[in-house]
Amino acid sequence: MDLKELYALMEKFEKSGLSEILIKKDGEEICLKKSPPVQVAALPPQTAHEPLRQPAAEPAQKHAADTEIIRAPLVGTFYRAAAPDAPPFVVKGDTVKKGKPLCILEAMKLMNEFQADFDLEIVAILVDNGNMVEFGAPLFEVRRL
Amino acid sequence: MIQSLLIANRGEIAVRIIRTCREMGIRTVVAYSQADRESLPVQLADAHVCVGPAPARDSYLNVRNLVTAGVLSGCDALHPGVGFLSENAGFAREVREAGLIFVGPDPEVIDLLGDKIRAKHSAQELGIPVIPGSSGSVTGAEEAMVAASSIEYPLIVKAAAGGGGKGMRIVRTPGELADVLVIASQEAEKAFADGTVYLEKYIENPRHVEIQIIADRSGNVVHLGERDCTVQQNHQKLIEESPSPVVTPALRERMGADAVRLLRGLGYTGAGTVEFLVKDGKYYFMEVNARVQVEHPVSEMVTGIDIIRQQLLAASDEGLEVRQEDVRLGAYAVECRINARSAGKVTQFMSPGGFGVRMDTFLYAGYLVPPWYDHLVGKLIVTGKTRAEGLRRMKRALSELVIEGISTNIESQKKIVSHPTFLKGDYGTGLLADLLKEGAL
Repeated sequence: MDLKELYALMEKFEKSGLSEILIKKDGEEICLKKSPPVQVAALPPQTAHEPLRQPAAEPAQKHAADTEIIRAPLVGTFYRAAAPDAPPFVVKGDTVKKGKPLCILEAMKLMNEFQADFDLEIVAILVDNGNMVEFGAPLFEVRRL
Repeated sequence: MIQSLLIANRGEIAVRIIRTCREMGIRTVVAYSQADRESLPVQLADAHVCVGPAPARDSYLNVRNLVTAGVLSGCDALHPGVGFLSENAGFAREVREAGLIFVGPDPEVIDLLGDKIRAKHSAQELGIPVIPGSSGSVTGAEEAMVAASSIEYPLIVKAAAGGGGKGMRIVRTPGELADVLVIASQEAEKAFADGTVYLEKYIENPRHVEIQIIADRSGNVVHLGERDCTVQQNHQKLIEESPSPVVTPALRERMGADAVRLLRGLGYTGAGTVEFLVKDGKYYFMEVNARVQVEHPVSEMVTGIDIIRQQLLAASDEGLEVRQEDVRLGAYAVECRINARSAGKVTQFMSPGGFGVRMDTFLYAGYLVPPWYDHLVGKLIVTGKTRAEGLRRMKRALSELVIEGISTNIESQKKIVSHPTFLKGDYGTGLLADLLKEGAL
């Protein structure tokens, strides 16, 4: 892989929802990892001392008429899986039965498993793994089944 | 030094803290409820984290969300402000256990000062005058009678865990004591889940005078003179001034020295206030407010010392920048609290200005005052060379202040600062009730 390809890969990876990628090709091995950034989901990071009149944006999320948004019930770190090496609880397109886990929200070293309140289909996952979410932050776009 | 501060509060105190942090180069993250999305502190802070819905118990009192917000937003300290969790030892412990600096005294000290009987004992042990009363809690009529026999009537029955006038009852004759004891204890049980009560001599129509303290871990404890907060309605302060018209230099020196000795003795750090009742030239320890107070700007204007800055320096182990000998008490300052009497949209807002005028508020034109929280929406503080000059200036500043769209107490404050009894300076905590009775407000 030449530098141009590598840079292109880095850029794609940066924008992707992936936290790690390992590519083995023709004896070459490239591993890219992201350190989880500390960010408030759905809120644009503010630069220091912005002018007045910048109210916190209502974390409204555009979504289709037949879908709804599931929001964070507490402040915490959003995890898609029970452990770093475990598969995610849900991926886009999954159908989930009521009571099944959707994600984990970690707060004060407590792992709070967050479950589906009703049978649903995952339309979109709105937060990257390992990000901070504030109260009311949109986590999933779902379709009620 | 603190790099990044989570402000676990709202309104004018959040704005107040943000302002000093900006001057000190400290990044601010404000925790807010869904009702405060458009609030001024949210707009002014470097970052903001929603910690819950409008009701305070789910947001500004939500320990887990506040501490988590502090940790995850990269803060190294948390300022509790006033009210809410500012005097909650359990919260201070959680903050510490999460690895953050709690901007306030140690939890053990908060605990001790929260128990009015223990606080009074500590004061007594350090030789500070306290209100004559039972040496501890009283249970049952017999014990109360024995304790009461050494105290002059009228008496007051108070809740050990009390505050805000709940569980407080006045007893005028020995015959009433047994019945009142039962009622007060039940009231205290309901309000604080602790029915423990104690007896004190009831000091009628006293002055409420408090000493502002700042302290650091090296044992540098400094007082910034007194504030007279005698103008109160239902135990809520309305006007605070310094110096007090009834405190002589000799009295100030003794009260200041006592307040310093008490907080040094307790190992207190940060900003705090020692409250006294003053009557006929004598003073009695009442309680300690283990936090910065709403009326702290009065002392700031008198001394030129930024109390929030000193609080942050003390919390980060830098230590205070001032020693007692640096404190100059010369000027006069007075604060009028501006309270909302209704919630709703502020259609017009104009802040007063000019020489010697300071306005601390979170209002702006178009802001929607939410119905969920404290009614304080602003503090107007003015200075003067003398009390007379200061009060003339306050009247002028109040007449410039425009808040439209919601109902406020501005007119009532104008009447108080123009009333002959207030101007004369000769009154007690019963002033407001008297003015209301005579139809002056």
